[in-house]
Amino acid sequence: MNTIRHQLASPLQLFALASAGTILLPLGYVTAQALSADPAVWSRLWTTRIPELLFNTVSLAASVAVITLVLGVSTAWLVTRAEFPGRRLWEGALVLPLAMPTYVLAYVYSYLLGFGGPVEHLWQLVAGPQARIFSPHSYSGATLVMALDTFPFVYLLSRSAFLSMNVSFEEVARASGVSRFSTLWRVTLPLMRPSIAAGVALVILYVVSDFGAVSLLRYQTLTYAVFQQMTGRSDNTAASILSLLLVGLALIFLITERWFRQRSRFYQTTGRYRAPQRHRYGWLGTVAVTGYLGLIVGAAFALPASLLIQWSLSPEAQATLDSRFFGFVWNSGILAASAATGGVLIGLPLAYLASRRPTMLNLGCLQAAYAGYVLPGPVAALAVLVLFTKLAPVFYGSVLILIVAYVIHFLPAGLQSLEPALQQITPNLEEVARTLGLGMRETWRRVTLPLVRNGFVVAWVLMFLQTMKELPATLLLRPVGFDTLAIRVWMEASEEYFQLAAPSALLIVLLSLPALALLVSKDWRAA
Amino acid sequence: MSFVCPLSTLHRTILSGLALLFAAGLVAGIFVPSAPAADKLTIYSGRSERLIKPVLDAFTTNTGIQIELLSSGTTELVNRLKAEGDRTSADLLITNDAGSLELARTAGLLRPLNMREVDRAIPAQFRAPDNAWVGLSGRFWIVVYNTTMVKPDQVKSLLDLADPKWKDKIAIPNSGSEYLQAGVSVIRATHGDEKTRQFLQGLKTNADGQVYQKSSQIVDAVAKGQVALGIVNHYYVYRHLAAQPGAPIAVLMPDQQEGGMGAIMNVAGVGIVKSTKHLDSAKLLVEFLVAQAGQKLFADLDKEYPLHPDVKADPALVERKSFRAAQVPLTKLAELREPTLTLIEQVGLR
Repeated sequence: MNTIRHQLASPLQLFALASAGTILLPLGYVTAQALSADPAVWSRLWTTRIPELLFNTVSLAASVAVITLVLGVSTAWLVTRAEFPGRRLWEGALVLPLAMPTYVLAYVYSYLLGFGGPVEHLWQLVAGPQARIFSPHSYSGATLVMALDTFPFVYLLSRSAFLSMNVSFEEVARASGVSRFSTLWRVTLPLMRPSIAAGVALVILYVVSDFGAVSLLRYQTLTYAVFQQMTGRSDNTAASILSLLLVGLALIFLITERWFRQRSRFYQTTGRYRAPQRHRYGWLGTVAVTGYLGLIVGAAFALPASLLIQWSLSPEAQATLDSRFFGFVWNSGILAASAATGGVLIGLPLAYLASRRPTMLNLGCLQAAYAGYVLPGPVAALAVLVLFTKLAPVFYGSVLILIVAYVIHFLPAGLQSLEPALQQITPNLEEVARTLGLGMRETWRRVTLPLVRNGFVVAWVLMFLQTMKELPATLLLRPVGFDTLAIRVWMEASEEYFQLAAPSALLIVLLSLPALALLVSKDWRAA
Repeated sequence: MSFVCPLSTLHRTILSGLALLFAAGLVAGIFVPSAPAADKLTIYSGRSERLIKPVLDAFTTNTGIQIELLSSGTTELVNRLKAEGDRTSADLLITNDAGSLELARTAGLLRPLNMREVDRAIPAQFRAPDNAWVGLSGRFWIVVYNTTMVKPDQVKSLLDLADPKWKDKIAIPNSGSEYLQAGVSVIRATHGDEKTRQFLQGLKTNADGQVYQKSSQIVDAVAKGQVALGIVNHYYVYRHLAAQPGAPIAVLMPDQQEGGMGAIMNVAGVGIVKSTKHLDSAKLLVEFLVAQAGQKLFADLDKEYPLHPDVKADPALVERKSFRAAQVPLTKLAELREPTLTLIEQVGLR
């Protein structure tokens, strides 16, 4: 049996190695290009752009982290430890902002907060006709949009931490006479630290690699600068250097997130599970809580979504719903489907080998596939572009190059569903099938595959939706006639044609909702 | 494994949703007629889609030749043409910047043209020496000002905008903008590097938070009084005025004083890609664009100045004869570009 296994594993192994190589190669090329750049270019960038870009990127990440921390933990606490009418509804509604791509939220807010926009008009009613509010095209604007869009990450992780925590620690504290607030501060929150930190690190990773919001809000971060260098300059050296810095920065946060996540696993296994007691609110409390949650969900989802609907119904927007529009839908669909299918096909052998034959080599290949996490869209595009122009220029400007970029970029998202799906089947099941006389292939088809099917579908849907929303790599690599919905939103929104951008944006949001349901159902399983 | 059931129903809903989406796309795909490859031109266009599509649609109506358009950044498209080499599917390159066209020409990406129609219609200073690219419309880099905040005699030259008194009162395009690059090249050629550097440094300080990706946003900011002045191409102002006739903005033609540099001019133009397999159709399009009707349509859509001497500009524009243009040849914009970019980067303009 071992020999048969070996025979089957061998081509698989080669395939896994090849995929890992393909994924790492672009990153290697960019690194090499950056390191071999003329030192004069490095020093020029260090003295001019880099300090500003690093400062902007880090300070945006920091402020978003603080705000998401407050929003995420407080909302998670309310829905898990308090009881008030509509609690379950809010529990689900708080995840909705994840369905809004950052560029959609950014464009809605550049209208809302824009000079002479509705919010400013309201403010002028209060503070006098000359009063001004802060511009959305600023540090504050970018912070607001990114925080509203990403706090659900912290919310989701804190929520499962609140649910899975061993309540006896808190009960001991309360029994020893510690006040409710002090218990929260001194017992509960420290216990949740790993989950919260993992959530915040995820938020930071997201902020650092975001292109959509910062480009529409004209806030200069490293990711945006890479894109500008690629589109504004005829050589990619400076773009490579900035990319390398960005990859380094992202890597730091990825490792942080991993580290904390591992620690949070440890906490979740301790103790017996019992539902925590919920604090019941009176009517005044209910009003306050509902107001607070309503404000957050309203600002992050309900208000933008209703504006999108209103704009989509405007005659200008209706006029764009012609066959061309369906062409964009089709392009988005076909690109996303190809990328998702490619991702599953490439991710499966990697995840399978790593869980069944966890040799150093196989684990290494799997880790390599996670490289996409630290490759923000423009960097992934740059990497693939540089690689293809050097090695296989034939494919430049074809759909293939775009799909390769997508797969590299989004494989981590897929692997996160594929990996546990494969891990949860014990090898015994396969061995039983084998001893009962099934062949190797039959065993795969009739035992393994049906068991991992759910993980597949989740991985596929996640990659499909991420690809559909993807912006920078699509902008940089799309072939002729391959505009997608995301491209249309960005193109119209960056010229402030808010109505014209709305139908595409609304469609993206609507299509993202089912994926969100999947994500959340996974989370509930974990909790 | 209790989670399998609810999940799989969910999957089914999602999958059927996706299937529906595909079906919709498929239907659309079938019903959108696609022309045979012979009668199809692929154009890489650095000119915004809404400014070029109507002209191309008119061409399609006239000739039956379908057009596939890839709209993107100009430099990005030239980079792309370089990388694609002979395999490119592009037949023509249209950009809003002569420097980029000249760069494409010197990189050997464009095809020299010998067409009488071109020689007759477009004056020689607006074409490449070998006609590998042909200018189609003229555009000027001007100062737009808010008429309630600034008096026109407060600014004589572009260089005045570096004055500290305009701190936080001006808006400029970002450094990736080809107009800005071309403009800085012309200033360098006229005033030298040191003076240009001082100008850029002042500009950077004055426009600190007001660096825009799109010139239309600059005009918008000036019209709303968010800033007093902005540097943009002239047509953005007229486009804004056409949409909002009462807006308190006006064009200020800079550097017209005695001995001044003259207004910085650039042209939008077209070149036929060297490896095109549809040369005849491509030539037809060039012919269409330089003819009087094409010139009028192309220039008026964007409120630019037609280059054909017999075609009148939109009457809303400042009379072309009333101001001088800077005397830096368009073909020089290409060789000036690299050192200009280095200077821009040294100053740290965004």
